Amino acid sequence: MELDFLATVLLSSLSSASILLIATIGLAVVFGLMGVINLAHGEFLMIGAYTALTVTQAGVPYILSIPIAVAVTMVIGAIVELLIINRLYGRLFDTMLATWGLSIVFYQLAVLIFGTVTPGIGMPQFSIAVGEYSLAGYPLLMIGVAAAMLIFVYLLMTKSVYGMKARASIQVPHMAQAIGIESSRTNMLTFSVGCGLAGFAGAVLLPIVPATPSMGFAFVIKAFLTVVVAGPVTLTGSAITALGLGGGASVTASFMTSVVGDVFFFVITALLLWLYPMGISAKWRRKL
Amino acid sequence: MSISENLYKHAGLVFPAGAVVLALVFAGQIDPYLAFVATSWVIFGLLGLSLDVVWGRGGLLSLGQTAFYGLGGYFGSVVAINLAPATGNSLIWALPAGAAFGALAAAALGYVIFFARMGPLQSTILSYTFTLLLWSVTQTFKLDVGEASIGGDNGMSNIPGIVLGFGEDAEPLGPNAAFAAAIVIAALLYFFTRWLMRGTFGRIVDCIRIDAEKTELLGYDVRKYQLLNFAYSGALAGLAGALFGLWANYLNPSIFSVQEALLVPIYVLVGGLGTLSGAFLGALAIGALSFFLGGGAVGGQTTLILGGVLILLVLFLQNGILGGLGNLWRKSLSDPNEAARNAGAVKIDSTVLGEILQDAAKDAGPAKNMGTDEAFKQFGGVIPVNKVTQTFTPGKPYSLIGPNGAGKSSFLKTCVGMYKPEGGTVTLGHDDITHAPIFDRVRKGMGVKNQKPQVFGELTVADNLWTAAFARTHDTDKAEEVAAKILSMLGLEGQSGVQASALSHGQQQWLDIGMVLCLAPRVVLLDEPAAGMTNEETRELSSLVRTLAKHTTVVVVEHDMEFVRTLEGHVTVLHQGEVFAEGDIETLRADDRVLDIYLGRSEHV
Repeated sequence: MELDFLATVLLSSLSSASILLIATIGLAVVFGLMGVINLAHGEFLMIGAYTALTVTQAGVPYILSIPIAVAVTMVIGAIVELLIINRLYGRLFDTMLATWGLSIVFYQLAVLIFGTVTPGIGMPQFSIAVGEYSLAGYPLLMIGVAAAMLIFVYLLMTKSVYGMKARASIQVPHMAQAIGIESSRTNMLTFSVGCGLAGFAGAVLLPIVPATPSMGFAFVIKAFLTVVVAGPVTLTGSAITALGLGGGASVTASFMTSVVGDVFFFVITALLLWLYPMGISAKWRRKL
Repeated sequence: MSISENLYKHAGLVFPAGAVVLALVFAGQIDPYLAFVATSWVIFGLLGLSLDVVWGRGGLLSLGQTAFYGLGGYFGSVVAINLAPATGNSLIWALPAGAAFGALAAAALGYVIFFARMGPLQSTILSYTFTLLLWSVTQTFKLDVGEASIGGDNGMSNIPGIVLGFGEDAEPLGPNAAFAAAIVIAALLYFFTRWLMRGTFGRIVDCIRIDAEKTELLGYDVRKYQLLNFAYSGALAGLAGALFGLWANYLNPSIFSVQEALLVPIYVLVGGLGTLSGAFLGALAIGALSFFLGGGAVGGQTTLILGGVLILLVLFLQNGILGGLGNLWRKSLSDPNEAARNAGAVKIDSTVLGEILQDAAKDAGPAKNMGTDEAFKQFGGVIPVNKVTQTFTPGKPYSLIGPNGAGKSSFLKTCVGMYKPEGGTVTLGHDDITHAPIFDRVRKGMGVKNQKPQVFGELTVADNLWTAAFARTHDTDKAEEVAAKILSMLGLEGQSGVQASALSHGQQQWLDIGMVLCLAPRVVLLDEPAAGMTNEETRELSSLVRTLAKHTTVVVVEHDMEFVRTLEGHVTVLHQGEVFAEGDIETLRADDRVLDIYLGRSEHV
């Protein structure tokens, strides 16, 4: 029985870590490929969630609402890049402040349109038995979704022409321009893809995390810490960090309270940054 | 100096003083409700000031100011609830307690940030998440301390008002008097902060913002100053929070919310980053805006408007109101950098230099040897420093030469402490400094000049030299004296009031060398000092290096062979991270192997 309990804790922690990773990947992509921290990332997640919710309520099957959410957030992301981000390249902290302002604008708009409380959609019902325990199936499914997202982003960055251009633009910007890569268009696409990934996360997590205007704030704390702890090698770094930190916090939370889990997350983050002040991947030789 | 110039110089004193007098006059006249609301603007201005200290002056964008503000508010209020009834006066309890707690919290967070030497992004994010964490923790945090009861999201009530009088029957001040009290408190703190930031402490904090590496190369423990500055800003924020508690008589976790935190950089940006007084102007502008928009359809969306305002500020108005006005005003004044154009060529008088160096030896002790033993540095598969053993002694200059990628600069950086070696030791005199931080090496007598000129561009030439001299002397007058000597040796007296950034590239190189000399170093390391210099300047530099070597140990990394020849010293050829050949330049010129590696022929490549 003890073993069963341990197995359930492990599985649910792995699924918490996967949920964190799903919420983080978009942020990591934008930071890794553009050097931009998007403080409105959580609000793009929220927009994805609300889009999926609205579309589902209008009668579209939930599974189809996910690509619609991705499309909507990608378009909004592209507009934001065009109007704000591309005027601020190379000014990391100004970008942070501007996207921070944006996050509060999106938050307030969501309050205006949807009110502060909205119904969630029912979690697709199926569960998995582990010995005497029974675990909800949908959160476990997130482990697979997180892995699929990682593989998708990896292939996008290594196999597609866009991915090559994007990586070239961030590694040696002037060389990329010299061989004719138009970095402003690549950047617009990157930002849009990052926002689309956030929208995907919001939609796919909707059965677990109900849409509320303030859901972005709750999520971003851990997502930001994950990205800065990960450091320059964003994709691999974020995956490892999310597993370690998200899993650890979840284990702590399952034995104590969720607030203790949050405190644990923060303290461990501070400790990791103490040991690796520029992120854990600062001295790695791989680049993705 | 014209009246306009004089006024410009003291603008931070004259205009705020005028504003305080004006505000105090108004405080007695205005409608009590407006006075009540305006008190909060003054408090927000103080909170903004705390951010300007750490961001505008210290260079760290802290999104944790509301955390210190809230913590100071809670702690100050708890103390006031318990102790104020005994004395009547609530300020003497709440304000010091709030300031102390804010400073303590900031110091704890700052210790982690600065002593780990975190990157700027990591620091900002950590400070932001600190605020968000407090927000979520305080929602459920319940604690009774004596009479005070912290009730999670129900908040804490029964906080005494702003009470000035003493004794049991002392009454809280009315809105107008409380407004006046807040103005006086804020004014005192502003003028103190201004004094602090214009003094030595502020000068070094400014230097760290402009170039932290150079500041450390002057021997300042950068982390200590950053921590102190952060703690001071935490104290300001905590005090503002305590005052807020007394004003509102009630606190709840929303003080830690993102909406609150967002306001602080807005205040600073509206008023003007780095101006100190701008934070108050920003708080006044934003406060008045929301006040006169009122409730209604527009006023209810204050959050939305403020979010938009922040975006527009960042995009279009970087200098804020005061910064913009200051720039306009400065254009009407005569240009203090005019003198930079009239500067002549630098001429080194070796007798004067010799005297300076002898003086330095009296203060700082005899020249020291520097040595490495099997020093080893690796980056992945590349080994730029491969078991190099060298001893450098005073008398003759040492030159390190070698083709590109030979490891010259890496070796120098290993000696300086910018690279931490994986193996071997570095010694300075009798001290093992292999693991010593950079500032410690400098204090032990190492003087470093990097390849690019590192000067504090916003500071005047004289202030640059003074800052360097003060790092060694720790005495204002003595530093003045040393700086003046070096200034006259460099022949830059006419340019002493010019901003260093206005100097030409060559002059900046000389100023940088002058700063190193201010440190009275016992070992001097120069990385490509002749780069970008004219032939004439290179000749002067050669004479300086030779004179310097008579009094101290000198190591030069150089590409310019002609320059190395004129030094008439000991030459070490590095190749692929290892010592390849040694001797004087004539011997090495005759050595076929050395020619091989430079020209890329035969098997030694």
